[in-house]
Amino acid sequence: MAKKVIEIKGLNYSYPAGAEALKNINLDIYEGESLRIIGPNGAGKSTLLLHLNGILSGNSHIRVLDLEVEERNLPRIRSKVALVFQDPDDQLFMPTVFDDVAFGPVNMDLDKEKVRHLVKKALEAVGMQDALNRSSHHLSFGEKKRISIATVLSMEPEVLILDEPSSNLDPKARQHLIDLLKRFRLTKIIAGHDLELILEICDRVAVLDGGAIVADGDTKAILSNKSLMELHNLEVPLSLKLK
Amino acid sequence: MKHSFIDEYSDLDSLIHRLDPRVKLVTLVASLLFIISTRPTSFVTFVLYGILIFILIGLSKIPIGFIFKRSLVIIPFVLIIAIFIPFFKKGQVAGSYSFGSVHLTVTYEGLMVFWNVLVKAYLSILCMILLATSTKFSNLLKAFENMKCPKLMTMILSFMHRYIYVLVDEMMRMKRAKDSRTVGGKRWFHVKALSHMVGVLFIRAYERGERVYLAMCSRGFSGQIRTLQDFKLNKTDFCFLLTMAMLLIAIRTIRR
Ligand SMILES: Nc1ncnc2c1ncn2[C@@H]1O[C@H](COP(=O)(O)OP(=O)(O)OP(=O)(O)O)[C@@H](O)[C@H]1O
Ligand SMILES: [Mg+2]
Repeated sequence: MAKKVIEIKGLNYSYPAGAEALKNINLDIYEGESLRIIGPNGAGKSTLLLHLNGILSGNSHIRVLDLEVEERNLPRIRSKVALVFQDPDDQLFMPTVFDDVAFGPVNMDLDKEKVRHLVKKALEAVGMQDALNRSSHHLSFGEKKRISIATVLSMEPEVLILDEPSSNLDPKARQHLIDLLKRFRLTKIIAGHDLELILEICDRVAVLDGGAIVADGDTKAILSNKSLMELHNLEVPLSLKLK
Repeated sequence: MKHSFIDEYSDLDSLIHRLDPRVKLVTLVASLLFIISTRPTSFVTFVLYGILIFILIGLSKIPIGFIFKRSLVIIPFVLIIAIFIPFFKKGQVAGSYSFGSVHLTVTYEGLMVFWNVLVKAYLSILCMILLATSTKFSNLLKAFENMKCPKLMTMILSFMHRYIYVLVDEMMRMKRAKDSRTVGGKRWFHVKALSHMVGVLFIRAYERGERVYLAMCSRGFSGQIRTLQDFKLNKTDFCFLLTMAMLLIAIRTIRR
């Protein structure tokens, strides 16, 4: 059995202003797995992801890479678990692409040469090595998305968490992203609605609705279960319907 | 959406663009000091400074028309402040005018101060525009930081520069959405809608701030933004610095 990377037991969370966003979540994620979290709008997907590197913390027990998620472990956890936000304008906050991609490594106290090397490698991995000195605000949306991924790749994480990576991308940019994600060997957790993308890269799916996990298992089995999908405002992907 | 007007010419490749931003900053401060401390009567000195600035602009390959246009934006403010000086300064009367019961007298001393303010302001403005258009904003900030400017200030400026585009976009999108749904209607209604939009924009900016902070925390932010800085002074930088220093001093001493 592969190593357990993330272990969530009995996670509840309510936003200070709102109702319960997560109810009794139990989830184990193993090394090298690609887990997809799907669910209708407002199901709590983004909220769940924010727990995985300790940005939010409910009253629960989460272990990440054998570390308890708590204040003193956060720096170690955050250098291993990379979270990419949904909106690239939130993810890219530095004036130039270089500074953005270097932000994580510099905070990890690596030396200059190492930082430069990591930045170069990360940008090459997403095919944007020419953008090194450009300003983030002059990039196209797809380019911003790719650089967002580079900003965490440069930290050499063990777990990659993406929130809706394919939203607003045109078909070509989307395909490029899929190819990119397929190539990465690390543990991936991806939230979003793009079901075709799941089929291509994810072997396991968890369905979240109303803050609770309602199904968890093999991708094809879950996605082709019509009644389950429709019950939770989702649909069976076209490519599975046609078979 | 395109916002290239903000740093339109900062990507050109010229001697001036290639200079280390710190060198440019130091040169700017030195030039300003020299210009400001010149005696108002040394006309030749001003002309020479002017020529020097235009040579630099020429070297930078930035269209001179662009720089003029930029300067036209700032000069009215100087004018508004300076225009009253000739009337208030006491001294030898150069002319007096009366409009009804209002008597205005212009003095030679006043005119001299006026000219002095105007020419110095204009030369300084040209210098600053040249620096601002020939340097990338991010590099300029790094230079400030490198020269021990308070971190907090450079951080605020950096976020401002990064997110002003995002906010402008958001405002434009909201305005379009509003325009495509309002057909006719009273002017008052439009004003009300606009005020709501400003409120929404404020809240969105606030929420974005929160999300950006979370994104920073996710990548190990611990209260201090650190960047890699590797400015290196090369031969050109030294030569430029020396040449400029010598020219400034030479112009100053030319007519004692
Ligand atoms: N900052 C917040 N304050 C209060 N309530 C919030 C906040 N963020 C989200 N919520 C609420 O928590 C619930 C879960 O939101 P979440 O963003 O996790 O959903 P999601 O599954 O990511 O949806 P989407 O597919 O639209 O991204 C929603 O009901 C939402 O209204
Ligand atoms: Mg979400």
